Amino acid sequence: MKAAIPIWIAFAPSSVAWGIAAQRHGLSFEEIILMSAWVYSGPAQFAVLGPLAENKSSLQVLVAGFLMNLRFLPMSTALAPFFRGVKRLPLLLSSHVISASSFIVPYLQFQKERDGTTRAVSTPADGYGNLAFFLGVGVTSFIVWVTGSGAGFGLALGFPADFDEALRFILPGYFAGLLVVEMKGWAMALICLGSLMVALPGALASQEWGWLVMAIGVATLGWGIEQWKLRATKSS
Amino acid sequence: MMGLMAFAMRALPQLFFAGRKFPEALDRWLRYVSYGLICSIISVTLFMSGARLETAAAPRRALALTVAVIVAHRTKSAVTGMIIGAVLVLVLAWLS
Repeated sequence: MKAAIPIWIAFAPSSVAWGIAAQRHGLSFEEIILMSAWVYSGPAQFAVLGPLAENKSSLQVLVAGFLMNLRFLPMSTALAPFFRGVKRLPLLLSSHVISASSFIVPYLQFQKERDGTTRAVSTPADGYGNLAFFLGVGVTSFIVWVTGSGAGFGLALGFPADFDEALRFILPGYFAGLLVVEMKGWAMALICLGSLMVALPGALASQEWGWLVMAIGVATLGWGIEQWKLRATKSS
Repeated sequence: MMGLMAFAMRALPQLFFAGRKFPEALDRWLRYVSYGLICSIISVTLFMSGARLETAAAPRRALALTVAVIVAHRTKSAVTGMIIGAVLVLVLAWLS
């Protein structure tokens, strides 16, 4: 569980920020807790807050949530080999607490352990041991996330209306900061900048889908150029 | 529904992809789409209200976002950047 402390520290402000933003977008305490516990994905919860508050089509909310949650596929796939021999039910239940942060810490730990061992193939005992480690990190981080969201709701109620401008800034400001801190390579910087700029004309052209289509377009374009450059480097 | 989809994304690989490697190119595309969407949402959340561009508030919010990003980059702390940006946008709103 000690390994999870940095994740708790990272989760506390973002969950509180989400709770504040959700309260300001008109969600009730029960809705905030339920969404945090059931969806448990900061970026996806952030993505659907605006469309939910503006009563946009449920299809748009689902598409935005789906696209944000697609990133769990590679994370979960990367963890799967380390849970060898674990039965399906515990695997299914524990997979709910996979998040970007709770994935990285166990994944790096398992890789370190695998590199340090002489055995080529892990045993079922290793699988259950790894699952216990993962749950120690994942479940405690999940509790911090849900509790923080509730605390954010309570905090938002205490702010006078004069603070609306700052409250509105909290979540986008925090996510922008997170992106910058994690930013690696030119492609990501260009994709972020490009998406930031084209989202507005996109949203003005089509309030429902414009920003979404633009973001996917910019990301795919950046990815395509990077792929092309990688292939060119390999063939030369 | 959204929760179910999130759960499916987490659970399916545990059931069907155990022991397999996710293609690196696809992994990168998924990450880039997430980043693109987050930035797109940041832009829409900060500068639009419904179908309307908030032209009066946009300059101070853009300035606060720029400062927040620079501070986060320098200090390697998203929280510090967010707090400074929020204080700045609040002060600018009170002054205007």
